Amino acid sequence: MAGISLEHVTKRFGELAAVDDVSLGIADREFVTLLGPSGCGKTTLLRLIAGFMAPDAGTIGVDGQALSTPGAVVPPERRGMGMVFQNYAVWPHKTVYDNVAFGLTVRKVGRGETRARVGKVLEAINLTGFEGRYPSQLSGGQQQRVALARSLVVEPSILLLDEPLSNLDAKLRERMRWELKDLQRRTGITFVYVTHDQSEAMALSDRIAVMHQGRLQQCGPPREVYARPANRTVADFMGLVNLLPGRVVRAAGAASAVTVGGAALVVALPDDAREGQAVQVAIRPENVRLAPLPDAAIGTPPDAAPAKVVEVTFLGNLTDCHVMLDDGTRVRVQAEPGAVFDVGQRVLVRLDARACTVFHE
Amino acid sequence: MVLGIGAAALLVLVVLPLGFLAWSSVTDEGRLTLDNFRTALSQRLYVQALWNSLILGTWTAVLSVAIGLPMAWAVGRTDVPARKFIHLTAVVAYITPPYLTAIAFVYLFSPNAGLLNRFARETLGAPALTFNVFSMSGLVLVTVIHTFPFVYLLAASALQSVDASMEESAQILGAGRLKIAFAVTAPLVAPAVLSGALIAFVNAIALFGSQAIIGLPGRIFTLPTRIYALFDHPPQYGLASALSLVFVAITVIALFLQRRYLARRSYVTLGGKGSRPRLIELGPARWGVCAFCGAVFVVAVLAPYLTLVAVSLSKSWGLQFWQNLTLKNYWFILLEYDVTRRAILNSLFLAAAAATLSVLLGSLIGWIDLRTVLPGRKLLDYASLIPLGLPGIVVAVALIQFWLRMPLPIYGTLLIILLAYTGRYVPLGVRSASAAFRQIDPSLEETARVTGAGWLRTFRSVTLPLARPGLFAGWILVFVPALQELSASILLFSSGSITLAVAVYNLYETGYLEAVAALAVVTMVIIAAAIALATRLGRAAATGDRTSLAS
Repeated sequence: MAGISLEHVTKRFGELAAVDDVSLGIADREFVTLLGPSGCGKTTLLRLIAGFMAPDAGTIGVDGQALSTPGAVVPPERRGMGMVFQNYAVWPHKTVYDNVAFGLTVRKVGRGETRARVGKVLEAINLTGFEGRYPSQLSGGQQQRVALARSLVVEPSILLLDEPLSNLDAKLRERMRWELKDLQRRTGITFVYVTHDQSEAMALSDRIAVMHQGRLQQCGPPREVYARPANRTVADFMGLVNLLPGRVVRAAGAASAVTVGGAALVVALPDDAREGQAVQVAIRPENVRLAPLPDAAIGTPPDAAPAKVVEVTFLGNLTDCHVMLDDGTRVRVQAEPGAVFDVGQRVLVRLDARACTVFHE
Repeated sequence: MVLGIGAAALLVLVVLPLGFLAWSSVTDEGRLTLDNFRTALSQRLYVQALWNSLILGTWTAVLSVAIGLPMAWAVGRTDVPARKFIHLTAVVAYITPPYLTAIAFVYLFSPNAGLLNRFARETLGAPALTFNVFSMSGLVLVTVIHTFPFVYLLAASALQSVDASMEESAQILGAGRLKIAFAVTAPLVAPAVLSGALIAFVNAIALFGSQAIIGLPGRIFTLPTRIYALFDHPPQYGLASALSLVFVAITVIALFLQRRYLARRSYVTLGGKGSRPRLIELGPARWGVCAFCGAVFVVAVLAPYLTLVAVSLSKSWGLQFWQNLTLKNYWFILLEYDVTRRAILNSLFLAAAAATLSVLLGSLIGWIDLRTVLPGRKLLDYASLIPLGLPGIVVAVALIQFWLRMPLPIYGTLLIILLAYTGRYVPLGVRSASAAFRQIDPSLEETARVTGAGWLRTFRSVTLPLARPGLFAGWILVFVPALQELSASILLFSSGSITLAVAVYNLYETGYLEAVAALAVVTMVIIAAAIALATRLGRAAATGDRTSLAS
């Protein structure tokens, strides 16, 4: 049982608030990812949870017991957490076995039991037979596993991971992703995971906490954060997004509408939006569709706007298009790979109103 | 062709003199014999010298760690105040010629006239507090001041390159401070510390000046001073050669251990890019640590310098310092004593010429090794490292034997000293040149070749300008020690080719105590000025290069 609660946690470095009034509850056995660009404070937050630094304000507790307050911090060595570092920090002067056994030695576990537990954890991460090797004889991925094994062997209830996959090549990264997820399911350890890679965050997490400039922007399941970003920063960080200029034509709850380049969209508005106000409409490229211009007799559907194709790139699994609305707004569209459009061709752009989020200008 | 030039130079500078040294050690008037080695390894006189050298080297190495390691830790890992200042202490202690430190400590602690001894005896009435500098402890003390910076510098960079995550991952696994220090930090920096200790050992036993100044009055003979004594008339070349080779063997073994240990157990580079050392907040303990470093500053820098300046301004050195101030000593040294000017000019010329030659030769060898596939290039590279194992006095012994048998009468001229310096410091030239060239991607040179520039043109307009800051650093690296070289010069000089360090030593031997101090101060001013000028020039050269790269 190990849930973590952060309440109004703030950490300053001089003038800069690296972590600014962050409150977040992490449930037992949950996989939560702190996501954000470099310098957003995610690593600082992780190190605060580990106890490597004291908060300037707020408290951090585990299972209702306060571990970090501005005045008193339980040191990392007495928290019983595990941590995996970005550079693995596998000790180069110790063999794989000695690396993994270290935590047990510190806990004064007997020799026989140590051997059994190290053997078991090495088997779990496919490193049996590597006990006598030194880290310099291992590949990056293997070192990564040693670092994991070293943290897991002491059976922590909380495991902190600081960009553990960022030094691996793309293929290995993908495989380790699944291994990590699988591991978390099997062990039931609470994972707090730091990364700047949104696809990694989405693949792994139960919930994603997006951070920017020290502040928590949004926290929710991957789908929610992706589809319903709380603000432009989150929308922008969670993948490709078009931010289109629009105008509120009707502010009436569920029947509210905005226009974008001639298309009228029925969407939810921010609470305080008024009629006639300029807004920004966020929509991801995969939620925009292109269609040939219809006959004049049929007419244009209300959620569509005429545009001209400016750029077409075939990417294999999709066709990446840039089109320009008649008011000059550029829209990026990810169409199915079979769609064939020519540069200069006039098309209709259809925006999926259900996938739009409206932000203040 | 280039290979030929490099090989010929090394042959004349290093290999042939060594060959003659070896030959002379096993011959006696033309017939082969092992008598010289038998004498060197069995007669009390020489065994004692060997033993003393080993004791001196061992104690110096141990104490260098005892001083250098805590300082490195304080500067690299704690919030101790005045870190820049502590670092500067080590640098100044390293730059100060050890024979000047030795002379300064004689002024303070010679058994009868030493100022602090007299103060203890006459003013405090506590003869128990006196300290006889003419002893092994005195010799170790003076030597350590010069050698602890080796440990300090190596340990500091090792401590800095151990990433905090190495220690933090032990901490999160439950290890306390002590456990982390012993299980993680210590093993990671041990190779650098041990390496520093061995370099301290090798340097300590090679210093002729301090061992003569401190050791001889205390009747503590060491290998350099024994070898030196063998050149009194009639010179015993064979025995001197044998003793020199024994000396070389010790040095080479120590350096071999150092290299092998480093090669097998060097982890410090693993952290690589942007490692973030872990800083410890010491709290009130920082003042204790600061006091320790302050004490090192007082003993290693403040005391010797203050003493030399004070003595240089005294009519006669004693407790009534303020009553007999004078500038007469400087007047004498700078205007009346005609040796001074000759020595200064000789040393400046020799240092500049040796630095230039070492770097040129180093560039040639480094370039051949890195950029060509000529057969024998590795051999050349190894040959250029031989002098690392040769104490200065051994270089002198070898050169003397070689050139006395050559038809060119260069013995007693500046040229033979220049050859000695160049030979001694060519490894520094090779190392800095290799480092400089290694940073230049071969594609930059290949681009020039592709656009039609010849080999020479490419070297001149691409390689050299890009390598210039590194080469210049190498030049300074040779220039500074060459300016104060004593161990080889002492056997090679004549009255016309006297050097600064020899002038100081001779004046001291003659007993002009106050004048020596003045000359010592002048020496330090020249060294300091040369370093200041060189770094300024170097910085200008480096920034000039950067702008030319950008444009």
